Amino acid sequence: MKPPDLSPSRLRFAASCHALLLPSVLLLLTFIYLPVVWAFLKSLYEFEVGSPARFVGFANYLEYLVNDPPTWPSVFNMFLLTAVGVFVRLSFPLIVAKLIHSLPYERTRYLYRIAFLVPIVVPGVAVQLLWSRMIYADYGLLNEFLRVVGMDGWTHSWLNDPQTALVALMCFGFPFAGGFEVLIYYAGLSAIPESVNEAAALEGCTGVSKFLRIDVPLVLSQLKLILVLTVIGGIQGFEGILVLTQGGPGFETMVPGLWMYYNAFSFQRMGYACAIGVLLFVAILGLTLLNLRYFRSAEEVQGGAT
Amino acid sequence: MLICTSALTLLPFVFVLNSALRDNFEYNRTFFGAPESLTGLARVGWRYVTADARPLSIRTESGEVLAATRERAAAHYWAKLTAGSRRAWVVLRPYVLNSFVVSGLTALGVAALGSGTAYLLARYRFLGRNFIFGFILATMVFPGVLTLVPSFLLVKQLGLLNTYWAMVLPYVAGGQVFAIFVFRSFFSGLPEELFESARLDGAGHWGLYWNIVLPLSKPVFSVVIIMNILGTWNNFLWPFIVNTDDRHQVVASGLYTMARSGVALSSSTMYSAYVLSSIPLLLMFVYATKPFIRGMTSGAVKL
Repeated sequence: MKPPDLSPSRLRFAASCHALLLPSVLLLLTFIYLPVVWAFLKSLYEFEVGSPARFVGFANYLEYLVNDPPTWPSVFNMFLLTAVGVFVRLSFPLIVAKLIHSLPYERTRYLYRIAFLVPIVVPGVAVQLLWSRMIYADYGLLNEFLRVVGMDGWTHSWLNDPQTALVALMCFGFPFAGGFEVLIYYAGLSAIPESVNEAAALEGCTGVSKFLRIDVPLVLSQLKLILVLTVIGGIQGFEGILVLTQGGPGFETMVPGLWMYYNAFSFQRMGYACAIGVLLFVAILGLTLLNLRYFRSAEEVQGGAT
Repeated sequence: MLICTSALTLLPFVFVLNSALRDNFEYNRTFFGAPESLTGLARVGWRYVTADARPLSIRTESGEVLAATRERAAAHYWAKLTAGSRRAWVVLRPYVLNSFVVSGLTALGVAALGSGTAYLLARYRFLGRNFIFGFILATMVFPGVLTLVPSFLLVKQLGLLNTYWAMVLPYVAGGQVFAIFVFRSFFSGLPEELFESARLDGAGHWGLYWNIVLPLSKPVFSVVIIMNILGTWNNFLWPFIVNTDDRHQVVASGLYTMARSGVALSSSTMYSAYVLSSIPLLLMFVYATKPFIRGMTSGAVKL
């Protein structure tokens, strides 16, 4: 490696470049890095907004991990919801993308791509409100449908019944195919070289077995992307639960992110909320690293086999 | 199978539209069924088609049934059809305007700042370049859940609560990272010969950016801008937190506030609000799908 060129003209050039980069850098420093530092610092204090802070060391972390009753049930809910989310986001949209991809006409393929992309124009919160008010409501779509087909006994107050609330959250978004995932998988399927498809056809590898042996391994990088995004979203996302069940009934559908939100904005325990945030960050970081490592080795194995 | 899945995906939205056009009385009587306003309009229309001038029976708001001329009946059903959206629009209009301001300013900021920064990082070699790029990309490690509470404290400290800046500045700060990443990988891939020949023609730094880079990167711009608008338009939690009063509430957070207020008692108003809130993005979608899908799938954008 040659040493960097430190002549005055190069330095002056670098300085003017950095001056142009300043707006980007300043915004990041103020609105990302400063809050990150604050998150760690303030998690060591106990304070309400506007009143003096009291240094408590790691007491917030200790309280959350050991003494707070909702902690472990909510962590369990989070893992359950994330696991279900991973499963449905890796399977349903991929199958839909494959079905669209195997259609014979470009025109119909295009129409279906649009049909599955259209739901993203509806604001997410509107969709969540819809599910709570229209689909899961006492006189909502699901119950009315059950009444029409004569299964009155099956009707439920889906989101208010402790027995069904969590399951109802898992089924939110059924059939899980309206959105970007279909498009991402579709792009992956389109990128498979024609020669591979022809070779598979010559070998008599078609239908489901081709899907499992050829298509799935070749869209692995897309699957990995969605997996990482879903896991991260599953750990930190709580808007949907806030809208659908508010974490209730009782603490049945509480998740750590929502508990953080309540502590900050309902109970005014800012330091405690920061501590929960830091712990969630650590969890996300750990799982992301695990994801990357596991999948890299899987790809290497695959690369070694061919 | 595809037909079934797409039907299931789109079905809820059909019901929303249907419920938006029916009044509370109809909605409470039965969940399924066509809107009376539409069937009524069809009946009136049929009278016109067959040149049948006999009066029609209509049911007024107070519940009495009376005979009306065709004009009167058409006006009645038309009013019934639009009642929900008119009521919803009164509440929703300021939110929509706020959303336009916030999403517009954010998209503008992200596109300008993101492409400029990415251009510098992609096409110029200078001391500290890789460090800055690492510094920018490293922010992707920090999830929103970590910074949510401290960001609120920061915005409050800066005195920005209940302003547009409380939304726009953090959105631009966060949104530019993805933009820089996408722009940089695209700009790095542009052939150096283009820049060489333009420099020989006497183009300066600014000229290169404006005349060479920008015209070539339209698909990338459309992807970055659309992704950004989708994100900011649909974000409801942050606006909900930093707006303690109603003046700068955006559509997403406004819908949530609406659903928890007295407005929600009227089903047609609420459902109409859902429909109206989707129209701006639907329009964007109609005009931008082709460049967007092309941008996403042509390999211009590498994820």
